[in-house]
Amino acid sequence: MSTTVVFVLGPDRPGIIATVAQTLYEQGCNLEDVSQTCLQRQFVGIFVVASDGQDRGEGLLRALRGRLDPSGLSVHLRSVPAAGVPPESAGEPFVITTVGPDRPGLVAGISGLLARYNANITNLKAVPRGAGAGQEYVTFYEVDVPAGTDRQAFRAALRERARELGLDVNLQHREIFEQVHRI
Amino acid sequence: MLTEREIIATLEMLRSENLDVRTVTLGVSLFDCASDDAGRFIDRVRAKITRLAGNLVDACDEVGLVYGIPIVNKRISVSPIAVAAGGLSAEQMCAVAEGLDEVAGRLRCDFLGGFSALVEKGFSNGDRALIEAIPEALARTGRICSSVNVASTAAGINMDAVALMGRTVRLAAARTADRDGIGCAKLVVFANIPQDVPFMAGAYLGVGEPDAVINVGVSGPGVVKKAIDRARAADPGLDLGGISETIKRTAFKVTRVGELIGRRVADRLGVPFGVVDLSLAPTPTPGDSVGEIFQSLGLESIGSPGSTAVLAMLNDAVKKGGIFASSHVGGLSGAFIPVSEDLSIAAAARSGRLTIEKLEAMTSVCSVGLDMVAIPGDTPAETIAAVIADEMAIGVVNGKSTAARLIPVPGKKAGDRVSFGGLLGDATIIGLPGGGGSAGFIALGGRIPAPVHSFKN
Repeated sequence: MSTTVVFVLGPDRPGIIATVAQTLYEQGCNLEDVSQTCLQRQFVGIFVVASDGQDRGEGLLRALRGRLDPSGLSVHLRSVPAAGVPPESAGEPFVITTVGPDRPGLVAGISGLLARYNANITNLKAVPRGAGAGQEYVTFYEVDVPAGTDRQAFRAALRERARELGLDVNLQHREIFEQVHRI
Repeated sequence: MLTEREIIATLEMLRSENLDVRTVTLGVSLFDCASDDAGRFIDRVRAKITRLAGNLVDACDEVGLVYGIPIVNKRISVSPIAVAAGGLSAEQMCAVAEGLDEVAGRLRCDFLGGFSALVEKGFSNGDRALIEAIPEALARTGRICSSVNVASTAAGINMDAVALMGRTVRLAAARTADRDGIGCAKLVVFANIPQDVPFMAGAYLGVGEPDAVINVGVSGPGVVKKAIDRARAADPGLDLGGISETIKRTAFKVTRVGELIGRRVADRLGVPFGVVDLSLAPTPTPGDSVGEIFQSLGLESIGSPGSTAVLAMLNDAVKKGGIFASSHVGGLSGAFIPVSEDLSIAAAARSGRLTIEKLEAMTSVCSVGLDMVAIPGDTPAETIAAVIADEMAIGVVNGKSTAARLIPVPGKKAGDRVSFGGLLGDATIIGLPGGGGSAGFIALGGRIPAPVHSFKN
């Protein structure tokens, strides 16, 4: 198994995580760790991936660039800067939490659905819980759900997607987390 | 950006510690519905409650979904019927109860409280009619809850009312004898009843309250227990000062949830937000028990020596956390010890570790009183009245709310089991040692004067 660190930098928009995760999945890579942040409307994503023993450096870079270049996103296997454009309007802030055993395609599955609803991921973090065979991952996505979204349909679609992926899912307004923990 | 700890801690409270909003209670004033014609009064009441509460359940469900916090009960509290319908007879009061029950059911509300009277200083005609109607009204309805305030720190104890309530409790049990006296589970006798309690059976909308208001009751004994367990595991040397701090911080978090949910429901309904009542209210569900907290604090069981001290600390720490968390705290705000509704407390009563005397002692330091206590069905009315009088004295002298919700289960004796079902749970009937020797005292009647408010010793 080899580990590659993929950096994606560029103007934030809905669907970046979905595109990267889907491409990594198609390239046979397992997403082992991921972190993204947005600063001054710039997206920076760091993806730690494991592939199936082959050195996929050049092929992976080509596949990612093929999909991300048209959106002005840079891809590097080490690190690089980028440029920015204004993002879409924010909408209502929600937190999606998924809990379940790790397997390839989880983030691709959830973020693909979010992209379909034009829900922008503003923060994403995955943390392991437990150890050994019973280990599961808690992944949380802070997302802006556009005003006017059919929330009932969105919630139902999210539940269905999580069910397909073998995940427990919670969708909660971000305000509850702030109220509970902050004075 | 939220931190990992903030998200996971909140998730744990929901997933494995039974955090929920126990009740959102819409208070509705019925004073502008008053009429000397029972039919007209009931029509006005139905119209007003439907107008204000028509969207209550949907609004609660929507807010619960948005924030991922279950709102377990949606309830209505109304002005004391003894005042709002003061000109009606006992039979007409029963018809009012049936009308209220019908509207609560139609609006999918769990309970409606306010079939109530305030008689700490004396009776009006409406008070007498209402109290006379209680046994029949509770037998004929499923959702109506009744409360009678017979004492206050300012007025003293109306012993005529105490005696009357002893007889009324007996009658309410007899009238629902086929259901183990369940009418008494919806009837509570109070001292210093708060005007804004969202919890049943004591919820009613006080005379100083707005036309409509949302009050919220949050619970969370499971959250508190797990927080104590975690803190003690992390620091085996943690003493009671540290544990109290842990309870306080946890109460803060739980109250914040209630405040947010209450305000959002109030916004949707277009009515003002009133108070959060932060009370550790158990349910007969494993992990949702106040009694288990006592075990986490080193007692073999609730009822063991040390229980009163533990409850005093718990009640105080809960209040301190809650008061800091909310802009308006009200209701009872403390720890409840309803015997049948808490698996651990019910087990302690069954094993004999928890006696009626210890329960009474514990009520001197917590926010309710002798709550959901099943007693032998042949307990004389005078004995029930005397137990109520003792409980009222604790509240009056200590300047706090206390209550008695006693269920003399028809045909059953001490040690027998009784099952009320649902949230009301199962109980073992507790004996009343020395019962039957209080009739002479109760027969004296009159009013025990208000206590002095200085020279406190």
